[in-house]
Amino acid sequence: MCKRKKKKQQWWSSAIRAAASDSSTKRSDGKEEEQKVLRLTLSDAELASRGFSVRRTAEGLDVGALNEVFARVGFPRRQEERLRRALDHSRVVWLSSSSESVPVAFARAAGDGVFNAVVWDVVVEPSCQGLGLGRAVMERLVLDLRRDGVANIVLYAEPRVVGFYRLLDFAMDPDGIRGMAYYYRKSSSTTTN
Amino acid sequence: MAPAFAAAASSSVCGACVPAACHFEARSMVAASRFLRNRVEGKRQSAAAWPLKAGLWDSLRSGFLKDNNSTQTVEPPSEPLEVEEPVPEELVLLERALPDGSTEQIIFSSAGDVDIYDLQALCDKVGWPRRPLSKIAASLRNSYLVATLHSVIQSSGTDDEHLRSYLTEGEEKKQLIGMARATSDHAFNATIWDVLVDPSYQGQGLGKALMEKVIRTLLQRDINNITLFADNKVIDFYKNLGFEVDPQGIKGMFWYPRF
Repeated sequence: MCKRKKKKQQWWSSAIRAAASDSSTKRSDGKEEEQKVLRLTLSDAELASRGFSVRRTAEGLDVGALNEVFARVGFPRRQEERLRRALDHSRVVWLSSSSESVPVAFARAAGDGVFNAVVWDVVVEPSCQGLGLGRAVMERLVLDLRRDGVANIVLYAEPRVVGFYRLLDFAMDPDGIRGMAYYYRKSSSTTTN
Repeated sequence: MAPAFAAAASSSVCGACVPAACHFEARSMVAASRFLRNRVEGKRQSAAAWPLKAGLWDSLRSGFLKDNNSTQTVEPPSEPLEVEEPVPEELVLLERALPDGSTEQIIFSSAGDVDIYDLQALCDKVGWPRRPLSKIAASLRNSYLVATLHSVIQSSGTDDEHLRSYLTEGEEKKQLIGMARATSDHAFNATIWDVLVDPSYQGQGLGKALMEKVIRTLLQRDINNITLFADNKVIDFYKNLGFEVDPQGIKGMFWYPRF
C-alpha cells in the first residue's frame, strides 16, 4: 500500500500534493521498469509478417479512407480539411495493410511536447479488430511520447473501451482527478466536425 | 494604510489539472529567453483605447471602488456566453482606484506574452512544483493558446503628497497574476492546463473571467471540444463555467503503469 502511494506521488504531484510530497524520493529503478512496460507486444517485424506496416507520420495517409474507418466504428466523419489540419498538429501512429495509404488502425495525440499529451481518435477497422492492432498503435504512440519526454499522457474513453485502456496501463480518475468537457455544442447533423 | 485587497488563502488555486512534473531529470542549464512571445506581439494600446467589457463587470467594478479595504466578491449574474462577440487579444477586465491614488487595471491577454521567470514566481506562490525553465518555455511555445492576467498599476501623477504613490508620475508597474493555457490539434479538440491565479488576487472572480475568455476564444476559433482535468477542489469551479464531469459516461484516463 505504502509503496503504491509513493509511486502515485511521483507520478501525479498536483498543486496540492507537491507541497507535501517527498521530493527526495529516488526513482533509480524506475527507468528500468519503464523499459519493461514500454515493450511492444507485437514487434514491427511480427506485424509485417501478418501484413501490416507501421507508419509514424501522416504522410501517405489517405484522409478520406481514415474518415471511412471513423464512420465504420461509429465516429462522426470530419471535414477533410480540418482533419488534415488536426493530423498536421498531432503525433500519429497507424498501420496500413494491403493498400499502403489506407489505415486499418490509427491513433494520434496532441499536446505541448514536453508535459502533456492527449490521445484522440483511436480506431481499428472493424474487420481487423481482435488482432492486437489497437494495442499495437497505442503501445507505439505511448512509447514515442515517452521518448519525447512527455510525462502526462491522457485520454477520454467511452465506457465500453475503458477496459481496453486499462490493459494498456491507463488508470481511470487517478486520485480523484476527473475528466471534464464544456457542454456548449453547435447544432450538427451527420457531419459534426 | 490598509491594503487594497486582502490576500486569500494560499492554498492551491483553480489548478485545472495536474501540472505533470518531470522533476526526475536534472534541471536543464540551458538559459531560456526571458520574454516569450508565441503569438504575434500584441501592441499595448493606451488605457483610454481599451474597450472595457460592460455588463458582466459593472457590478464587480462598482463593488471595488466603493470599498477598497476588503475583497467582497460581487457575484455577477451568470450570462450565457455571447460567442458572436469576438474576444480581443487584449482586454481590460476591470479598473479600480487604490488607496494611494494609483489606478490598477486587470488585463486579459491571449497574446501569450509570458515572462517565464514571472510565471515561475507565480507557480511558486501557488505552491506548484518547479519545472525546468526550458521545458516551461517549450510548453508555452507549443501551446495553442496561452492566456494571461496582468495587473497594471499606474500612478495618478498627482503632486498631492498624501496621494503620491511610490511610483513616479506616469510610471507603470506590471505584474503577472494569472495564466491558463490550452493544447490543441488546431481543429477539433483543446485541453486546458495550468490554470492559476495569484493567491492575493483570488476570490475576486478573476479565475472565472480568465476561463470565460479562454473558452470564448477557443469557440471562436472553431474548436468545439474543450476539455480539462480537474481535481475535487476545483470541479465545482468548472461546473460553474459550463463544464460537465464524464460527459456521456466518458472517463478521463491517465497513463500510469504499475511497475
